[in-house]
Amino acid sequence: MRSPNWTHEPIVHFLGLGALVYVALTWGGQTIDPSSRVIDVGSEQQAELSLSFERVMGRAPTDTELDARINQFVRDEVLYREALRLGLDQGDAVVRQRMVAKMEMSASAAAEAAQPGDAVLRTFYEDNADRYSGEVLVSFNQIYFADEASARAALSAAENADPSGEQISLPASIDAESLQEVQTRFGGVFVRALASLEAQAGWQGPVQSGFGWHLVRLNERHRVTSDFEAVRDRVENDWRSAEIANRKSRAFEVLRSAYRIEIDR
Amino acid sequence: MRKTFSTVAASGILVMTLVACSSEPTLDEAQTGDGTDTIELAEFPDRPYWGDTHLHTDNSVDAFGFGVRLGPEDALRFASGEEVTATTGAQAQLSRPLDFLVIADHSDALGATRRLYDAPRWYVNWVIGDETVLRWYDMMHESPEQSQLAIAELITAAANGTVPEALADPEQAAENTKDIWNTHLEMLDRYNDPGTFTAIAGFEWTRMPDGNNLHRVVMYRDGSERTSQTLPFPGLSTTAEQLWDYMAAYEQETGGQVLAIPHNSNLSNGLMFEMTMPDGSPMTAEYATKRAAAEPVIEVTQIKGDSETHPFLSPNDEMAGFGVAGWELGNLPLTLETEPEMYAGSYARSALLRGLSLEQQLGVNPYAFGMIGSTDSHTSLATGDEDNFWGKHTGNEPATEDRAVTPQNLGTRIGRFGWNYLAGGYAAAWARGNTRAEIFDAFARREVYATTGPRMSLRIFGGFDFANEDWDGDWVRAGYTRGVPMGGELSDQGSAPTFLISALKDPDGANLDRVQVIKGWITASGETQERVYDVVWSDMEARARSSGRVPVVGDTVNREDATYTNSIGAAELRTTWIDPDYSAGQSAFYYVRVLEIPTPRWPLFDAVRFGFDLSDDAMADAVAQERAYTSPIWLKSAAEAQ
Repeated sequence: MRSPNWTHEPIVHFLGLGALVYVALTWGGQTIDPSSRVIDVGSEQQAELSLSFERVMGRAPTDTELDARINQFVRDEVLYREALRLGLDQGDAVVRQRMVAKMEMSASAAAEAAQPGDAVLRTFYEDNADRYSGEVLVSFNQIYFADEASARAALSAAENADPSGEQISLPASIDAESLQEVQTRFGGVFVRALASLEAQAGWQGPVQSGFGWHLVRLNERHRVTSDFEAVRDRVENDWRSAEIANRKSRAFEVLRSAYRIEIDR
Repeated sequence: MRKTFSTVAASGILVMTLVACSSEPTLDEAQTGDGTDTIELAEFPDRPYWGDTHLHTDNSVDAFGFGVRLGPEDALRFASGEEVTATTGAQAQLSRPLDFLVIADHSDALGATRRLYDAPRWYVNWVIGDETVLRWYDMMHESPEQSQLAIAELITAAANGTVPEALADPEQAAENTKDIWNTHLEMLDRYNDPGTFTAIAGFEWTRMPDGNNLHRVVMYRDGSERTSQTLPFPGLSTTAEQLWDYMAAYEQETGGQVLAIPHNSNLSNGLMFEMTMPDGSPMTAEYATKRAAAEPVIEVTQIKGDSETHPFLSPNDEMAGFGVAGWELGNLPLTLETEPEMYAGSYARSALLRGLSLEQQLGVNPYAFGMIGSTDSHTSLATGDEDNFWGKHTGNEPATEDRAVTPQNLGTRIGRFGWNYLAGGYAAAWARGNTRAEIFDAFARREVYATTGPRMSLRIFGGFDFANEDWDGDWVRAGYTRGVPMGGELSDQGSAPTFLISALKDPDGANLDRVQVIKGWITASGETQERVYDVVWSDMEARARSSGRVPVVGDTVNREDATYTNSIGAAELRTTWIDPDYSAGQSAFYYVRVLEIPTPRWPLFDAVRFGFDLSDDAMADAVAQERAYTSPIWLKSAAEAQ
């Protein structure tokens, strides 16, 4: 049996658990009203202090250590409440920024640890088909000229015989390489110009590059489809990155919707 | 209000623990191993693969303190060409992806500032119980500026050996290091994609006695199947020999391979390339052998300056002195000034010469190294591009608009300014394909070179029978079959060595001004010499030598809008060169330096982008000739070669 879709929504977990924690805290009488002048260090509070010590130190505190922690807690609590009374939490950029960071982190932490199943990744793969639609591979021959005029002259003579160009340390032919690879060797200007050439149409150009001018014979241009299995790891990396951003913004949107924003123009 | 915040935050943490338990990650052997047999390889190295071997993320004790909040995953995404959001909020992307990346976080206190920052204050106050640590903790929380100041103090303390013991509790640190290391290795495997992008494991070993920088980047050939059997080796409390022992033990125990790359010798006050053992006693052949085996390559150029040579050492080299300003003043934290007699132990060219001397005495050359560039960026963003400079650390990302003209580290380092930072360099590796094994092996055989950012393709082959006709045919095959590539060794055959040299400009960058061969040699009486030869340059007819010098190429940079034109210079420079000063029986090295035409440096881009005036000093250095250095080819006298 499948549970309804909404139960998979992280924001539902987020809010649901938030509600649970809230209930637990209020039920237990643990919420602290900053305006109260009573500081109650009950057994539960003491257990909490003891536990947080244990988490850091790997052992339970001794009685002396626990007493010291209680004293510290009382001292911090007194100063904290006084600080709230004075409004010191307001208008402090650092406090504000830390709280913002904490909220952001709680929204993204789940995505960082998550191990998505195939179904989730397949959906992501299909939703982002453009990204994985496969590389364009090109095969071409090129002949180099330092200046445009020589390249044009050679092109007009090319009908009778293959033109000969000038020396340069670039491959004379490229066989089924990705556009990314061609860009690494020939540069961005050349790759963009390549897009406007026709395949199987003889010598064309001249095409400009960072080196000079090229006559190009485009033999083939085709897109290779990469199926899901071939790009699964990339999909997972991309999914995670997108998921972190999504959770942050979804969590924000929910919180944001409870506010009315008024901006004076 | 307060209640709501804490409950929502707490529920977020609960969600994290719930979701964490589901299916296992799926990584295949191609990703977890060294990449052998995963892709088709070229017959000969076919193009330079571009990478950064020296990147820091939020796991580095100083990078986090300086403010970076991007971790290894963002670093890998950025290096492989994806867009990421920098710590200071802006979108960052490379114009061209890198082929490989070594994340080299400091092994000492790996992740420690991040943990300290996240710890409750009571813990820092009571359990750590160290006033200095507590003060740094409070500074880190007070403001970004205070946090940067705290880290500047921490680096100085590390340099002086006065880091509070409490901060580096060895047991706690080992436990944390193990956690971070294993998580990190799994992340590297996830992004390692043979043939497309290579994610290489490594760390930075950060020894600096009295602040004299002896740092090394350590990089592994292997994937997690082997690297998970080791842990990064601490630097502050160990010696270089111990590091090499650690590396040898790793190789023996796992069957893997590892090498170390010294960097910032320019900040070592002469200690990086000494003529003696570190304790001042005469160097032993055993020490020299160990060093040569562990450290085939050095990082010669990066954000914190360039270590090729200093004008004091190379007075006849009119192109010496790139990336020297500011850095020449003293050691890393500027706690000790540099005296001129220290330079010879701080720069690569003089070290290569020292290597010849030591080889004459010991029979083994400890300083027969190749050269690469890298960034040493502490922002998780591996970029060495002048027009895309994201700063040395998060405190000088572009969000700090006056970063070019402010003192470094808030004035604790007198005399070094933002504009002294270079944009950083790249490592180029001549490999047969893009896998961990192929890239590593190129480093191991020194078939690598350094650039200060531009991606020019640079080849040199040394042999004894190369001729101009070789250019008409398959000269790369000729180079590999009748000679040796950069990083190789020739043994003297009684005639002058010949070289095939080709420099092809960055396809998206500036034209080339000239190609130079730098030769260093040692006479029979033990005297070392160096000489710079201009071997080919653009417009050679119009720029004929005058009184022995090649005239300057010119300057097209418009200082008003930080642009240049390729109306001067050449797309490719190639030549067959014969050493005109060959003398039989001489031990020598030859490396190539290629210069681009002048282009704007990052401070000029900043000045234009943000609309401010550079100081006179900064303006004088705002335009430079970016360059590349190949690894040398050594000519060994017949006696040595045996």
